[in-house]
Amino acid sequence: MACTVHVASPLRQYTGGAATVSAEGATLEEILTDLDRRFPGMRFRMIDEQQRVRSHIRIFIDTHEAPDLKQTVQPQQPVHLLCALSGG
Amino acid sequence: MPLSAGELRRYSRHLSLAEIGVAGQEKLQAARVLVIGAGGLGSPAALYLAAGGIGSLGVLDFDRVDESNLQRQVLYDTAGIGMPKAELARMRLAALNPELQFQAHQTELCAANVQGIFENYDVVIDGSDRIATRYLVNDACVIYGKALVSAAIHRFEGHAMTYVPGRGPCYRCLFPEMAEGVAPNCAEAGVLGVLPGVLGLIQATEAIKLVVGIGLPLIGRLLTYDALEMRFQELRFTRRVDCAVCGEHPTITAPRDPAGFCTADELRRVRSISAAELAQRIHETGQPISLIDVREPAEFAASHLPRAINIPLNTIEQHHRQLQHAGTVIFLCRSGVRSRQACALADRMGVSEAWQLQGGLLAWKAEIDPSLRL
Repeated sequence: MACTVHVASPLRQYTGGAATVSAEGATLEEILTDLDRRFPGMRFRMIDEQQRVRSHIRIFIDTHEAPDLKQTVQPQQPVHLLCALSGG
Repeated sequence: MPLSAGELRRYSRHLSLAEIGVAGQEKLQAARVLVIGAGGLGSPAALYLAAGGIGSLGVLDFDRVDESNLQRQVLYDTAGIGMPKAELARMRLAALNPELQFQAHQTELCAANVQGIFENYDVVIDGSDRIATRYLVNDACVIYGKALVSAAIHRFEGHAMTYVPGRGPCYRCLFPEMAEGVAPNCAEAGVLGVLPGVLGLIQATEAIKLVVGIGLPLIGRLLTYDALEMRFQELRFTRRVDCAVCGEHPTITAPRDPAGFCTADELRRVRSISAAELAQRIHETGQPISLIDVREPAEFAASHLPRAINIPLNTIEQHHRQLQHAGTVIFLCRSGVRSRQACALADRMGVSEAWQLQGGLLAWKAEIDPSLRL
């Protein structure tokens, strides 16, 4: 089951510059695993070794923040990988 | 104060809008707005707020105009290179709308001065380019009850959100805490010149809406803009009951500088070494140097340079004796932001030969060792 993933600008170095990619998975965890398989290192940039979302990253399913990686994702729901920005 | 005949002519297009009208324009005339950072975001925001008739407009920036600013910081022109931004901005805005009150704050915002500055304003626009300043501004707005319109940019992407006391989440509800350097800034990553124009004007729009009391502010909504895809997206977030500053039991009750806070002057004085120069020093000259990697332990564990020692940035000050006897010290991090701060702290602690790797390990990976996992 594939869903659309919108990739924050600072994470696009992993996707070859692509702003939107598709990923397989029924949960956020599965989707991030699939992304990491295709774009090595991307998951570690977002998730720390304690399996927590890093402090400067937020993950949204559709328009709402996902409280954890167990959240299920429907095929029509886009996933947004948000990264804090500091430029002014 | 009633609008003068000249003001009725100047603001006639506002007055034609039923949502603003004379009453709304008088609210704008009575408003006090502070723009923090007169850079890419602050320039367009301040120009439009002045044009729109904000009665008292402050601009805070400690920096001077650099030639590389002119690609996007539309308050300035070539003749202003080297001059203080805050004062130049005040002069430019006064020329645009001489009837208004403008205040130039040529200073660096810190915990010691934020209350005295903020007490003169009702709405704050954050266009700063440091994480530490973003948290300080957010916390001060929550503590002193000021509305905040915040935006940030990176390459082709921008974010904007609005905080209004008692009406929704604050910036810390979205990003509770974050180390300096994990969120890249424009100097490191580059930025499309027109991008801050879009985001800065969204900030000005939000400020005008808040002052007049019209429309739906970006409260609890993060607006993201992707210039390459030409796509706006709205992401919703809520107030965290455990937020350190606006939550039920706040632990931040007064503005504070983060641990290891460095002034802009201290950061500017830091000495840098390129990846190629560092490689030469390591491999060819045989000179003894200490490589101090200031990233978090998990980042260090993933990959690091041979012989590098991990001292995370937030513990640098605890290692002052070790660093003072380490000879030549080269600080490393992912992109060069945290290492610059570590180097400034080392300078402050009296480490005589402290340098930082320009561009961080990203530059090392690009120029020296592509196998480094970052």
